[in-house]
Amino acid sequence: MLEINNIHKAFHKNEVLKGVSIKVNKGDVVVILGPSGSGKTTLLRCINFLERADRGEIIFDNLRVDINTASSQDISRIRKRTAFVFQNYNLFNNKTALENVTEGLIVARKVPKFEAIEIAKRALNKVGMSDRIDYYPSKLSGGQQQRVSIARAIAVNPDVVLFDEPTSALDPELIGEVLGIMKQLASEGTAMVVVTHEMSFAQDVANHIVFMDDGVIVEEGHPKDVFSKPREERTKRFLSRILPYSDYDI
Amino acid sequence: MELNLDYLIKTFFLAITGIPTTLEITIVALLVATPISFFMAIYKIYNVKIIKQIITAYVSVIRGTPIVLQILIVYSLLPSLFNMAVKSMGWNWDVFSMNPIIYAYIVFSLNTIAGLSEVFRSALLTVNTGQLEAAHAIGMTTVQAYTRIVIPQALVVAMPNICNLTVNLIKGTSLAFMMTVKEITSIAKIEASFGYNYIESYIDIFLIYIIVCSITQLLFSLVEKHFRSYKSITKAS
Amino acid sequence: MRPFNPWFILEVISDLLPYLPVTIFMILGSVFFGSLLGFVLARAKVMGRRIPKLLADCYIATLRCTPPIVLLFIVYYGLPELLMSTIGVNINNVNKIIFVLVTFTLLFGATMSEVMRTAYESIDKGQQEAALSIGLSPYQAFYRIMLPQSVAVALPNFGNALINLMKDGSLAFTVGLIDMMGQGTLIISRNFGSYALETYIALAIIYWSLTILIEKSFGVLEMHLSKGKKSVAE
Repeated sequence: MLEINNIHKAFHKNEVLKGVSIKVNKGDVVVILGPSGSGKTTLLRCINFLERADRGEIIFDNLRVDINTASSQDISRIRKRTAFVFQNYNLFNNKTALENVTEGLIVARKVPKFEAIEIAKRALNKVGMSDRIDYYPSKLSGGQQQRVSIARAIAVNPDVVLFDEPTSALDPELIGEVLGIMKQLASEGTAMVVVTHEMSFAQDVANHIVFMDDGVIVEEGHPKDVFSKPREERTKRFLSRILPYSDYDI
Repeated sequence: MELNLDYLIKTFFLAITGIPTTLEITIVALLVATPISFFMAIYKIYNVKIIKQIITAYVSVIRGTPIVLQILIVYSLLPSLFNMAVKSMGWNWDVFSMNPIIYAYIVFSLNTIAGLSEVFRSALLTVNTGQLEAAHAIGMTTVQAYTRIVIPQALVVAMPNICNLTVNLIKGTSLAFMMTVKEITSIAKIEASFGYNYIESYIDIFLIYIIVCSITQLLFSLVEKHFRSYKSITKAS
Repeated sequence: MRPFNPWFILEVISDLLPYLPVTIFMILGSVFFGSLLGFVLARAKVMGRRIPKLLADCYIATLRCTPPIVLLFIVYYGLPELLMSTIGVNINNVNKIIFVLVTFTLLFGATMSEVMRTAYESIDKGQQEAALSIGLSPYQAFYRIMLPQSVAVALPNFGNALINLMKDGSLAFTVGLIDMMGQGTLIISRNFGSYALETYIALAIIYWSLTILIEKSFGVLEMHLSKGKKSVAE
């Protein structure tokens, strides 16, 4: 469904992505792991053009976009088929929870207002925020804000949802509620690409792990394989630091 | 549009002789205002009620009225007031021959006191009270705490505002000609009235003010840089 | 010293107030055109393309260093000459208020551009990214998300700029405009200079009242606008 091919991105002289390719099929839950600075967030942001890669290609079913020649219509088309969940939520401060969710529907997709409100209410219900739809973000906890931002993402019915460290800014006791929703979405068949440090999610929910380091994909595969029998040295080293009970021959 | 280039250049150098006067007024106003404003800022924060109300009213009136009115009021009030005072004390002194720059000193000092006290007050507020507590905890007196810890930090925050205030003060002195003070504007205006070369005169004045203000801003940014030097070192990565 | 008559102050206030509309018209006109100019300048600085940004920077820096009275005289004496020699239009008989409006539009535009720019830049860019990521066009993201939030931030600074504009505008009488100040000088000369102090005090009272009115109104506006927000101290 979604292919990202040979993405290169440099910030000034610093090459952050050195030719990365990823494939996402319908219903996949791809988790990208790696140390900080490996380029995982940059890769995610290149997919929906929040960052503009220097070279590469994005293929969405029959929509083929070359990064260099991408027009604003191409970018818009890609953005209408994806959704992004940010580390610090980025809910629109001047709009209520409900309005945050309807915004993309009404303004970008020209959905009529009453229909948009219905869709939004369903999405907010799904993330457990039905009782706060008229609250402004400043009146919501971090976990609640992130749940609304997930509702905002799924309401537009994207082909794939991109999660950029969705729980990293949350207090520990709030992480569970957000991960729970992500698990539920996965079980319903939503395609997701997730950058995270939450290993439990990676082990239990993902069906494909991508390990990145220093701008390249070092190893990828099914969680069972990557976590229990990592092939590369770097993978082993990373996992043994992150997973307390691991035991790899390094 | 024909500009008399000769006149332009000649008057430029003539008007420059007004710069010292402008700077004099500015510096006197700042020097007089700084200690007074500082104590006004402290009083306001420490909440001594009557004084706080007087200060608030004073600041409100000065900042709520155009400076041209303050100049006109002072200039129509003070000379006769001084004259009365001098006569009643039996001194034999012609008030009206006094250098009008004194009136300029008075007006601009009063004005600067109001503005500067607000700058100091808001700058002091940005310094965390924890700083003062920590200073007391290691045994400093309040005076020491203020001079060694609080004020240096407040000064960094205040610098851009002080620069702004100074530039506005310099621009404000352009109105001192109304009190017959011989600063930049008045010199050029007088020249202009000889040959009706108004445009050239005002262009000269315009250029001089740009130069003076730009240099002032440059000086301030250097001072700011010096004060800032302690700030970024602690950025861990 | 010649007598000081406090009652005259009240008398003169009623002679001055009929000219308040002139002052208000001058202010509103300058605000309107100045804000347009300010928007153009702010956009030039934010968008970052080199030449427009450079021009905007130069313009703002220059006007920041210009005393209002100097600019007023340059416009008053220079504009008719300029128009006469370039496009042959004679504006010497035009209402003085035009010169005043031009001057204060130029000045207010410079101030407003900084107010707008700092307000816009204070809004977390994540807001814009989120808007783009759900499919809004850059134009929609600006008008529906960034702009409303910028307005709330800009409001106090706009209020200050407005007050400063009103105070600078009091200089309009020096080129002969009959606003409140202009009428005041007429009254003084009618009285052969004898009630100058009272007249100036009356004017000061009027201006002070206007300032307080503006401050209070903006205070109410700011409170109304922060209905959905936590204060800075959170």
